[in-house]
Amino acid sequence: MAHPSQLGFQDAASPVMEELLHFHDHTLMIVFLISTLVLYIIVAMVTTKLTNKFILDSQEIEIIWTLLPALILILIALPSLRILYLMDEINDPHLTIKAMGHQWYWSYEYTDYEDLGFDSYMIPTQDLTPGQFRLLETDHRMVIPVESPVRVLVSADDVLHSWAVPSLGIKMDAVPGRLNQTAFITSRPGVFYGQCSEICGANHSFMPIVVEAVPLEHFENWSSLMLEDA
Amino acid sequence: MCSSLWGLHHGFNPVLSRLCVFQGFKLLGILDVQRTPCARDAILHGAGGSVAAGMLYFLATSRVRRSFDVGLAGFILTTLGSWFYCRINNAKLRVQQRVIQEGIRNKVIYEGTVLDPSNKPKADARSGSS
Repeated sequence: MAHPSQLGFQDAASPVMEELLHFHDHTLMIVFLISTLVLYIIVAMVTTKLTNKFILDSQEIEIIWTLLPALILILIALPSLRILYLMDEINDPHLTIKAMGHQWYWSYEYTDYEDLGFDSYMIPTQDLTPGQFRLLETDHRMVIPVESPVRVLVSADDVLHSWAVPSLGIKMDAVPGRLNQTAFITSRPGVFYGQCSEICGANHSFMPIVVEAVPLEHFENWSSLMLEDA
Repeated sequence: MCSSLWGLHHGFNPVLSRLCVFQGFKLLGILDVQRTPCARDAILHGAGGSVAAGMLYFLATSRVRRSFDVGLAGFILTTLGSWFYCRINNAKLRVQQRVIQEGIRNKVIYEGTVLDPSNKPKADARSGSS
């Protein structure tokens, strides 16, 4: 999850998010070097006593400052497009979950084998136990098996919402009357937090998402318990 | 927020001191050289290349301003070279790591079955016994 005053990304929990992190580092280094160059040029221009009143053109520098930015953009675009298409791959999911956005909670349906469905409401601040995270915890988590491809079908019941989990590199709009598909694999077990990412009314900030990745046998036990409680 | 002045004026704050551990050191306020893989080495190599290029040009030509320009060019080129070299090596290591993890996982799953890659072919046993 995020920590206070965090500026960077959360640690990656899926291969796609790892690739996004690496692409971000690559692009940031390019941006840093360009910023250094520009800063240096500004200082050099401000501190020089030289002026040339008769300069008309300079073909060499025009070629350089046309080709160099084009090359830089290609260096950024190629990994970017690679990740864009990587994110669209869906490789034979083991599990399909429907995530429905409501005002102001999420509901999850596991209907591959049995009819399992439950709502996921935020735990109010006054009901939190020590160690739980304010505005992030929910009464029921979306539990998934670790290292298994999972497909999530996102939609909404009333207004626009958005199902987002930053550490998995996922954000998908929940549109009423439309089914949006996303897929992911968690690289490690853990609990991953997200929040609704499309303004949806008074309690838009209070409908978080919690994904819990567990080993397969734990997932089977959990689903059996949830079916018994239903 | 993590400077000593904050501590002097506001007293020791255990929460803020823990936050300071997370913040890292950001060059130009954007590049976290402590937590970004390869960044620290690339910047240090770049600094060394910059100093070397600038000094060599100055010793050869005694032109001060142009030496700084050459130093900047050296910094950019050395940083880029070190950065991409390190990132490519890291990418190769990550691929190897994934292959090894997949191999370990397959070995655990298939151990003791017909698909176990460490099983010796049965034809060797038959020819040996006859």
